[in-house]
Formats: sequence, structure tokens, C-alpha cells
Amino acid sequence: MLPYRLLVMAKDPERRDLFSGALDLMILHSLRLKPMHGYALVKHIKQASDDLLQIEEGSLYPALQRLLKEGLLESKEGISAKGRPTRIYRLTKSGARHLERELTSFEKMFTGITLVLAAAKV
Amino acid sequence: MSWLMQLFSRHRHYDDLTVSINEHLAERAEELMDGGTSRVEAEQTARREFGNLGLIEQRSREVWQWTTVESLLADVRFALRQLIKSPGFTVTAVATLALGIAVNATMFSMVSAFLLPHLPGRDPQNVVVVSSVNPDASFQADTNPVSPPNYLAWGNGRRIFSAVAAENENLTGSLSGSAQPPEAISYAAVSANYFSVFGVSPQLGRAFVAGEDEQGHDHVLILSHGLWERRFSSDPSIVGRSVRLNREDYVVAGVMPANFRLLGFSPQLWTPLTLTAADGTPSGRKNRYLYMFARLAPGVTLEQARAQINILAQQAQQNFPDTESRWGGSVRTLPDFLTHNFGIGNALALIMTVVGFVLLIACANVAGLLLTRAVGRQKELAVRMSLGASRVRVVRQLVTEGLVIALLGGGVGLFLTYIGIHLVRAGLSFNEGISAVPIRLDTNVLLFAALVSLVSAIVSSVAPALKASRTAINTDLKSESRGGTSGRAHNRLRVVLVGAEIAIALFLLIGSCLLIRGVYILDHQELGFNHDHLLTAGVVLDKARYIDSSKQNQFARSLVTQMQQLPGVKGAALASNLPASGLGRVSIHIKGQQESRSNEQHTAADVVVTSDYFQVVGVSMLSGRAFNDRDDATAPRVVLVNQEFVHKYFQDHDPVGKQIQLDIADAPSAWSEIVGVVGNVKTYSLDPLNEPQVYEFYVQRPVASFSVMLRSTVDPTSLTPALRHVVAQLDSELPLLRVMSMDGVVEAQRNGNPLFSRLLATFAVLALILSAIGIYGLIAYSVGQRTHEIGIRLALGAKPSDISRMILRQGFKVAAVGLATGFTMALPLPKVFDSIFQGLVHFSAPVIYPIVLAVMLMVVFCATLGPARRATRVDATTALRNE
Repeated sequence: MLPYRLLVMAKDPERRDLFSGALDLMILHSLRLKPMHGYALVKHIKQASDDLLQIEEGSLYPALQRLLKEGLLESKEGISAKGRPTRIYRLTKSGARHLERELTSFEKMFTGITLVLAAAKV
Repeated sequence: MSWLMQLFSRHRHYDDLTVSINEHLAERAEELMDGGTSRVEAEQTARREFGNLGLIEQRSREVWQWTTVESLLADVRFALRQLIKSPGFTVTAVATLALGIAVNATMFSMVSAFLLPHLPGRDPQNVVVVSSVNPDASFQADTNPVSPPNYLAWGNGRRIFSAVAAENENLTGSLSGSAQPPEAISYAAVSANYFSVFGVSPQLGRAFVAGEDEQGHDHVLILSHGLWERRFSSDPSIVGRSVRLNREDYVVAGVMPANFRLLGFSPQLWTPLTLTAADGTPSGRKNRYLYMFARLAPGVTLEQARAQINILAQQAQQNFPDTESRWGGSVRTLPDFLTHNFGIGNALALIMTVVGFVLLIACANVAGLLLTRAVGRQKELAVRMSLGASRVRVVRQLVTEGLVIALLGGGVGLFLTYIGIHLVRAGLSFNEGISAVPIRLDTNVLLFAALVSLVSAIVSSVAPALKASRTAINTDLKSESRGGTSGRAHNRLRVVLVGAEIAIALFLLIGSCLLIRGVYILDHQELGFNHDHLLTAGVVLDKARYIDSSKQNQFARSLVTQMQQLPGVKGAALASNLPASGLGRVSIHIKGQQESRSNEQHTAADVVVTSDYFQVVGVSMLSGRAFNDRDDATAPRVVLVNQEFVHKYFQDHDPVGKQIQLDIADAPSAWSEIVGVVGNVKTYSLDPLNEPQVYEFYVQRPVASFSVMLRSTVDPTSLTPALRHVVAQLDSELPLLRVMSMDGVVEAQRNGNPLFSRLLATFAVLALILSAIGIYGLIAYSVGQRTHEIGIRLALGAKPSDISRMILRQGFKVAAVGLATGFTMALPLPKVFDSIFQGLVHFSAPVIYPIVLAVMLMVVFCATLGPARRATRVDATTALRNE
């Protein structure tokens, strides 16, 4: 099965908007586990989702820049697994707080959606 | 402030991003290589998977940017690079727009100076000017000054006005003493509170105080900044010193600042206005000479003031039917009054329309150039759009290019405007009033130029940009476009543009020719006398030395006698007014003719002359006799009348021997006998019609202010020193005013007319040249596009003459529609001009239409000829091989 392409290139801005909250959430959550560079992040999400999700690069890098700008992430020089220079992204304190808030509201929403879908089955 | 920090830190972010992405690609490639793929293939795959690298990088960077402004700046930089790459196109487009913008901005500097004048003082909108409405005037009837009794009565309505002041403008006096030769100056007498009505105060000293407008206390004056600078070398201690005006000593109370200037009013100093008891009597109602300024009381609207003045004017009509019948009152705000009174609005509106059309033609030319350019860049645009640029983005880029051209054009245009304003100012110095108006490159003009640049950018670039982006989408990248359908679509738009240019140019040319002809006819009409070889000068006898009429008579007699003896002088005469230079009107009564009060009163222009006047000036004697020595002060009063007078009041019957009475304000009324009839002389050199005129004899009614005229056998101005010498011998303190030849006087009265005609001609020719460039560009371009086709035609046996005929035909086809449209648009122009410049002259001149049309056809022919001849030189084999 092909991985579900989480985000199609930004030809269609509506779709980007719809998923950007989810993308941010996954980026922040993954980086809370450990600081990573861009490619590692893509691989991590792919593996963690059991190959169901693959982040489109066209969305990842703008999203990273946006989170950097909002101060939820910080970047520093680092070395990749293969020994090449790269930038390692790490969650900031305000990023961690933001993640907590978002997780709570996401869980609520998810519960809500599940309930509604369950009701519809009856 | 964080955005500011970002502005500086973002280049670090850009570098970080590049490093991250590069690492991403490298890691992916390595992974693929681990799976056994070759390096080259692995790198390609990694890139392909990543997607549009440039776009992703740009999107990521945009997070840090103030997107719109920055991409606009990038567009501007790109546009500049593009423009530098094609200097020929850039120079042509920028120069075309610069010309268009410059003529508009230059003319707008006049609008700014004359219609948006900088008024001195506090809330000039609350200052109003109260005027009388003259029932017999056809031109600016509602700006007539008011009489002292009306000023006193109307100003008393304190509920509507918080302050009222009067000004007797346009007085002439002599300034003597201070070791300089006597000098004639124009000045104004004003009420003591005059300056406070405007809310201005002197720069030095003080304004007039209450009581100084009473006789005996009125020998104080306030200097204008100009006079203080010029005659008193900006002496800071001038206040309190004594100055000799009209042979009497006046104390300088103050100096006004340079910016105290009312458009059209240019007094060099102010004295207090003294109104006597006589001014308040009913007979004072005939003397309408006061400009009445008032400040509206708080809360009073202009409409309320108008209603009140109307009521007061009606009361005056009822109470004083002799003098006030049919006269009304009008109220205008100060700015409104000044611009209306200056009477330049129509001419300026017309000129602005003309330059607006010139700008349109310039824009159409630039639009044509941009279209051509867009065709050349079709591939570039197609590449950019296939790489992900949206249509809006491409249009924005192209419009930005138009904007950059327009801004460059605006910059160059401002420089040209600076020069243009100097030229206009040089052309607008024919009288004190107009040269006192500062025409400058002020903020209004700058804003206007910016606005015009912006508008022309949009007008000239939006249509081509839309067109180009539409075709670009449809263009196959591989197509070696030979100018097929898309080229033809571009051409259609250009044909429309050029057709419109030609229509506008023809319309402007016809309009300008009609106006120039009308103005020329007006300027060069028959005046009724010989104005060459005539030297003139003004004299004002002051009351200090020439107390009564016998003193005035005596001076006049000696002056004429001595002038006649000068070498080179054939004859000399005096007149209360120079011929064709304006006259006062008086009411007349004819003995034995019934007149009903409600009917229009008989009026005539009145002039006082010495005995040799008609012979010296060259007015023809038609019947009866001229004045002679027997008509002295004690003899029965005699008058002469002109032909128009006889026609209007005696139905062309011989009036000699008939008695008439003139209603003159400060002269006793008496019956006078008509002893002769003379030919018509224009009351004013630009009057289209003749007016009834009455000539009185100087000996019987001396006046203090008159003009001298010398008929010379030599160049009249060469007699100036001799004339000055004669006058100085008679009275060393008496200055001569405006010493100039009669030709010079007539010339000066043309005012702005020559400038107006020159401007119109310049702009019409500019329009013609621009539209010629337009059609040349179109045809030359289409010949270039059709090289292949022409090659085929030639190869199939067409003769070069067939080819050139074909190209010429194409040119004329484009022109024909434009010419027909322009011609039709121009048909109603004479009627329009007649209604704008009412009663001045008939603008209709059908002969102009075919002439201008022929000129236009010639120009189209010449502009098309070059490309047509080039087309015949196409070499068939080269053209066919040249793919």
C-alpha cells in the first residue's frame, strides 16, 4: 500500500490549511521525543505511522520555518547521521506548552469525531 | 520590533534552510545508493521525490518575508534589469511618457497657482466677497464692485458678518522723495480693519487702527513686501519713517509679509480708505468702486449670507430705482471669488483637456510598445508559468514593468516640468497681477505628477499584460512561433490603439486650429484707429497741486502745446482713456425721446478728449465737426458720438444738433449738443462688438487722470526721453505711467492669448507626432512579422510596387477608421467653443476640417512610407529560408 501522502503540494491552499494543524502537531510531538533534522523527521513520521503517512517536503520546510518564526522551535548547527552538516530542530519551552494545549484540544476533537461516527453506525 | 529583527536575521535562516534541504537530498540519495542505485540516478530520484526545489525553498523563505512588498521589490529589480537590457525600447517608452507627464504637470502648475491659490490668513473659506450684479455686463456680471452706500448698508447686517472691510483697488499714485526719481505705483485704499478681516498682520509694525480711516488722520500707509524690498532696500527701521505719496507725507505704519497676496490684486501699498458723508448719499450709488470683504459670523452659512444680501439688494432696488434698478447682489467665498474673478478657469480647463488627450496618446504608444515586447517575450513567460508562476504573478510582473517605466517617465517628466514652468512663467508676465502669481513646482504639482504617472502606468500596461499572460498560457513551449494567431491578436489590439490615437490627434488638431483661428481673429481685428507710430503714457494729476479744473486745464494745455513742438512729433492729444483700452459707461438721456423706467436704460461709453484727438489717433470724421477753440468752458456743452451710437439711438438718422444728457457721478448734469459723428473705435481691443460712445471735450470737462498720445514720424518709443523731459519741466514731481507705444498697449491687452495659442499649437503638434510614431511603429512591426509572407508573395511573382501598395493600404486602413471617428467627434466643436467663450467670436470655420484632414493623411502617408519601402527590399530567398 502506498503511504498516504499527507499533504499535496501547495497548488491547493485549502488543503494545506486543513492539515496544517495536524502537521504542526506531529512535528512538535516528534521533536519532543528528540531533536532531529529535516530528513530524519520525514523518516520518523513515516516509520511511526507504520508507513501510512508521508510528509510532503513542500509542506515540511515551510512548516518548519513557520514554527521557527513563531518561536515554537529553535534550530542549531549539527551533524547528520551520515556526518554531514545540517540543522537540528528542537522544541522550545513555549513549543512544549503549545504542544500540550494542542494535544488536549486535538484529543477532545478526536473523541468528538469518534463519538459522532460511532453514533452514525447505529 | 520583532519584524525588524527578522529583517536582519532572516539571511541566516535562508542559509540554514539551504543547508537542511541539501542534507535532506544527500541523505535520501545515499539511502537509494545503499539500495543499489547508481549515484547519478539516486541523485535524480532524490530531487524528483523532493518536488519543485526552487518553489519549496521560496515558500519556506516567504515565511520570513513581508511578502507583497518584497516580491514587489524583486519585481522592480527584475523590471529594471529587463529594461536595461533593451535600451532602445526603454528610452522610447520613458521619453514618450515623460513628455506626456511633463505637459500635464506643467499645465497643472497653472491650475495649482490660479485655481488652488494659497490664500493668506485664517480660514479663508469663511471670508466672503460681496459684489453687485451688473445687469448690463455680459462677462462676469456678478463680480462688480459695490457702491459706498451699499457697502455701508449691507455691512450693517452684523448678524451675518462678524467683520466687514472695503477696498478701493487699482489706485495710481506717485511715490517721490528719498533721492530717487518719482515713481508711479498702484495702490489700494482699505478700511482700517481690512487686514484683520483676513486674519493677517504685518510682518513689521502694525496694521491700521480705528480712526485712521477718518480724514485728517489718514496719512499713514502700509508697504507691500515687494515695494519695501525694491524701493526701500528692506530697511528694517522703515516703520515710523515718512514717505512722500502724491506729494503728501505719509507715515509708514507697517510692512506686510510676502505671502499676503490675493490672486489678481497687486497693490504696492495700502492707505486708509476714508468715506465721507457724500459717499453715503444717493448720488454716491452710481460709484461702484469698492470691493467688499466680510468674515461670516460664527454659525452663519454662505446660503444665509446670500439670502440676506439678496433681500438688501431688493430693498435698494425699491428705494432707489434711478440707480439701483435691476442691480443685484452676490456673495462668494474668497477663494471662489478670486478664481472666478481672475477668469482663467475656462482656458485652463480646455488646456488640461488637451494635455489629458496628449497623455492618452502617449499611453497608447507605450501600450503598443509593451505589446510588441510581450510578443518577443512569449517564450520567457511560458517558461515562467510552466515553472509554477501563476497568471496573476505574471500580470503583476508585467504591470510592475509598466510602473517602472512610468515612474522613470515621471522622474524625467518632472525635470521637463521644471523647464516647462520656467517657459510658462516667462509667457505669463504681461501684467502685474499675473506676474505676482507664483507658478511653482509645488506639492500639488508633485502629487499630480505622481498620480498621472501611476494612472499612465496602469493605462498603458494592464491591457498588454493581460493579453500577454493569456497567450503565454496557450503557447506551446516548443512552438517556433512565426507570429501566427497570437501575433494577430496582439496586432488587433495595437490596431485599435493606433486608430484611437489617430482619432484623438485629428480631434485635437481640428479643435486647436479652430481655437487658434478664433483667438487670432480676436487679437487682430480692426480697432478703428491707427495704432502704429503712436506713443502713449499715463498721467495722474494729484489733488495737492491741481486742486481744481482750471489748474488741470492749464496743465493740459501747456503739455499738449509743448509736446507738439517736439521734433519727430506730428501731433499730440490727451484722452481720459486710451482708445481700445476700456472705458467707463454712463447712462444717457436723449431730449425728445421717451424712456420707460422698466426698459433697459440708454448707456454709452464715455471718453474725454482734447481737440486734436481724432486727427492724432486717426479716427475718421463722418459728419459735423470736431471740437474747436470756441467750445470753451463757458460755452454751451458739446459732444461727439460714434456711428454705433447713431445706429442704436437714432436709427441711423443724422443726430447733429440733437441734445443729450450724460449721467456722470461728480459732474453737474447739463444738456449737451451733438456736433459731430465719428467712426467706431473698439471700446476694448478684444471686444468683438462696437459700443455706442460719447466724446466730451477736455476743456469743458477736465479730468485728473488721463493719457497722452503722440503721433510720431519716427519709432514712437524713441520719443520717450523727450516726453519725460517735457513733463519734468512742467512738474518735476509728476511721474509718467506706463510709457509705451500704442502697438505695445494693444499687444499687452492680448494677455495670455498668444501663450494660449502657442500652448495649444504645441500640444496639437505633439499629439500629431506621437500618433505618427504610433502608426509608424505598428506598420514597421507588422512588416517585420510579415517578412515570410512578403517573401512568398515576391517568390510567386508580386512586384515590389504591389508590396509597398499593400503596406500603404494597411496603414491607411488603420488610419481611416481613426480619421473618420476623429472627424465626427470634431464636428460639434465650434458650438462647444462658442458656448464656453460666450459672445467672444464665432469659432465656426468649416474650411479648417478638410485642411487638417489633408495634413493628417499626409502624415499617415509619410509614417507608412518608410516601412512600405523596407518591405519591398525583402529578399525572397532569405525570407523563406529565415525560419
